[in-house]
Amino acid sequence: MEALYFVPEMLFYVISGLILLSSIMVVAARNPVTSAIFLVVDLFFVAALYAQLDAHFTAAIQVLVYAGAIVVLFVFVIMILNLKPDALRGIRFSLGEALVLLITLAGFVIVGSELARTAPDLTTPGNLGSAAIEMAGGNTYVVAMRMFTAFLWPFEMASVLILLAIVACVMIAKKDKRVTKS
Amino acid sequence: MGMNLGIDFSSLLQWNDFTVDLAAFAVKFAILVGGLLQLPPLLVWIERRVPALMQRRRGPNRVGIFKWRLYGLLQSLADTVKLIFKEEVVPDGAHKVFYHLAPVFCVFPAFLVACAIPYGPDLAIYGYKIPLSVVRMDVGFLFIFAISSLAVYGVALAGWASNNKYSLMGSLRASAQMISYEIPLGMSLIPIVLIYGTLDLGKIVEAQNSFFQWGVFTAPVSLLIFVICMFAETNRAPFDLAEAEGELVAGFHTEYNSAKFAAFFLGEYVSMFVLSCLASTVFFGGWQVPFVSYDALVTMLGSPNFVAPIGILMLLLKAAFFMWVYIWVRWTLPRFRYDQLMFLGWKFMLPIGLANVVVTAIVLAVLRFK
Repeated sequence: MEALYFVPEMLFYVISGLILLSSIMVVAARNPVTSAIFLVVDLFFVAALYAQLDAHFTAAIQVLVYAGAIVVLFVFVIMILNLKPDALRGIRFSLGEALVLLITLAGFVIVGSELARTAPDLTTPGNLGSAAIEMAGGNTYVVAMRMFTAFLWPFEMASVLILLAIVACVMIAKKDKRVTKS
Repeated sequence: MGMNLGIDFSSLLQWNDFTVDLAAFAVKFAILVGGLLQLPPLLVWIERRVPALMQRRRGPNRVGIFKWRLYGLLQSLADTVKLIFKEEVVPDGAHKVFYHLAPVFCVFPAFLVACAIPYGPDLAIYGYKIPLSVVRMDVGFLFIFAISSLAVYGVALAGWASNNKYSLMGSLRASAQMISYEIPLGMSLIPIVLIYGTLDLGKIVEAQNSFFQWGVFTAPVSLLIFVICMFAETNRAPFDLAEAEGELVAGFHTEYNSAKFAAFFLGEYVSMFVLSCLASTVFFGGWQVPFVSYDALVTMLGSPNFVAPIGILMLLLKAAFFMWVYIWVRWTLPRFRYDQLMFLGWKFMLPIGLANVVVTAIVLAVLRFK
């Protein structure tokens, strides 16, 4: 069985390549709808990466929440505003932006080479393999147990924060309406 | 870096867990896709014959082979051939790439979701256990919702890329409707997850081993919500506002013709089938035979491999019932108004769904406390 680890490893490189490609396309595409669709593709492949790590629960939630709900709203807004490709400028860099890009690339190269140098042996499964997850009672069980015992308060605080954001959004939207009426 | 992949192809040439999984996956996937492709012609025929029956008309009854008319069964074949060979007209102002991609976005999630349905009990071949769903995973439930939520993009893109105001209106309506009804649909299934304690569809079916443990008895309110949302999710009557022909010509696929138009049909019918299968799996015991437990069947027939065909047949029968309900309702109820649809979704279905979850949780907590 050990000899078959090349299949997941190859898959990992393919998926990572697709993630990189679609991420670049999100930024580079001139049409906002194209960007949004590449964002969906991007999120989908990130979910594939999670699934490859045996984190099926996280993978499913990733697609359900991000690709299935949040980006749909992006697409909606783009369609309703009817943004034309011309409304956005193409890729042109000012001096400052070019500098930032260069520094980012340099940082990427440094971190990447450091990671490559100290990379663990990828051919042996770690202690979070599929067998270990199965033993612990499955993905969903483990996530739920951690979330609702050890991390209950942070989790609830996060949901309150999100609720706050929703209420704030409603308030802002309402205020706008009153101004236009008067 | 692990660039030396150490590829040992010899392990691919013998039967082990990995190669058996791979081969079984390929065979199951081929059978499933082959089977699903036969669905739309058959369903279109039923959808024309059934209302004819209801309205005392004849419906298509001519096209058959030579002198056998077969009740017009081959009408759909003729229609399909016609659709495929029709000239393809792409509107001038259409966004070419997305115009061609949209039907793919519609069909792909429907087929992917069909892979997660358990169609029968596990097969046992030479000591290898082969589950009768194309992929069996411990989060089958979430997988189905995750992938089917992607179907919205097909509809949204089709309307936007056609560069037609009716298409855009139709697609906005359809996608808003699909997003709104996805929430109560998910809510309606949470009690099932609570009751059976798993997200694995295979285990949910196994848990419905005796007749009165079927989801329809343990969670009747869920069934009601699920069935209503099922219609809205697939944009079928009485919720087919997206293609209200009196207002919107044909909705999001107004500008589509030939094979791409057929692809939208394929996506719609396959997702109808998948939701019917899901309803049968969750509420009507899936592949379980009523009143006879799985173990009794295995001892009766001698091997689990003989039970599997019966299981598949049971699931297909149950799914066929829901498909019939789809068509039955379409030709019985008039269409809703759009605001009524949204009102029903957000102010009626969602609160009931939430209350259902809370009540189920409390009842389960009390039962387990004793």
